[in-house]
Amino acid sequence: MAAAEGQGTGKYVVVYACLLVITAAQFFIGYQHISGSQLVVRMLTFGAIETVLVVFFWMNLASEKKNLIQFIVFFTLFVLAAMNYIWTDSFRLLLFRLTGFGPS
Amino acid sequence: MSEAHLTMGAHTPGPMEAPPFAVPSKKLAMWLFIMSDVMTFAACIAAYAFVRNATPDWPRPFHGGTITNVAIMTVVMLTSGLTMLFAVKASRAADKAGAFRWMIITALAGAIFTLLHIRDWMGMISQGAGISQNPWGPPAFGASFYSITGFSLLHMGVGTIALFVVAIRYKGGRYNADDIELFSLFWQFVGLVWLFIVPAVYLMNVAP
Repeated sequence: MAAAEGQGTGKYVVVYACLLVITAAQFFIGYQHISGSQLVVRMLTFGAIETVLVVFFWMNLASEKKNLIQFIVFFTLFVLAAMNYIWTDSFRLLLFRLTGFGPS
Repeated sequence: MSEAHLTMGAHTPGPMEAPPFAVPSKKLAMWLFIMSDVMTFAACIAAYAFVRNATPDWPRPFHGGTITNVAIMTVVMLTSGLTMLFAVKASRAADKAGAFRWMIITALAGAIFTLLHIRDWMGMISQGAGISQNPWGPPAFGASFYSITGFSLLHMGVGTIALFVVAIRYKGGRYNADDIELFSLFWQFVGLVWLFIVPAVYLMNVAP
């Protein structure tokens, strides 16, 4: 029991160290002179890794029932994916502003 | 035997129905709340991303001082997430004093984070950045900045107060280890949201 308690705490500290390293990498990338799209991809990649670490190990979703994990993960990802409908309209608006042409 | 008697007999309460997903109802409710909060934050960040992408002259006003402040806030937030987990561990091990101590440490970290957040806002306000205007151009910058960070600040401020209450009630015997674990879910979620706000709002707008 005591060993299990120790292991659990050790796991949390390892995740904490990983989160610190990933966050430091994000701050480093923030100061790099790279294009906007590359910046977004890198930040989102690091954000996704952080999410997996926090949700599965700090929020202990990994130790829950499989059907609860499926429900939470699929439902949340579906809604987050559905929100990406904004991009086409956002780029269209950007094009209008850059070219000076607008919708009639 | 009367009809009423038969009807009563047909509705004799049976054993309790099993909770969905075989998790306690309170925990399921917290997960559902977190999922709904994910949608709210995601909608805010999606709206910000829409405007940010569609505005060619989007300002990049964050200098070293602000970024240093945000870095400190992030370390405080991550550390508070770890101390909250120590509180959960201690409560599971029936170490009441230890759990209370870790919760108070976590709440103090939350208070520090909130104060640093307010300091960041004061810095922005002193530079003339408001909700509807700012010295750098597009007015949508201030609106999106204050709405996203304000929503996070609200969660953190209220969460800190709630954590003090939970700690005191746990010490008084009104809450148990399950309640501490539930609050930990909320606390970790707020920390996770901050890890998305930092790159989206601050690091992608660092002054060249």
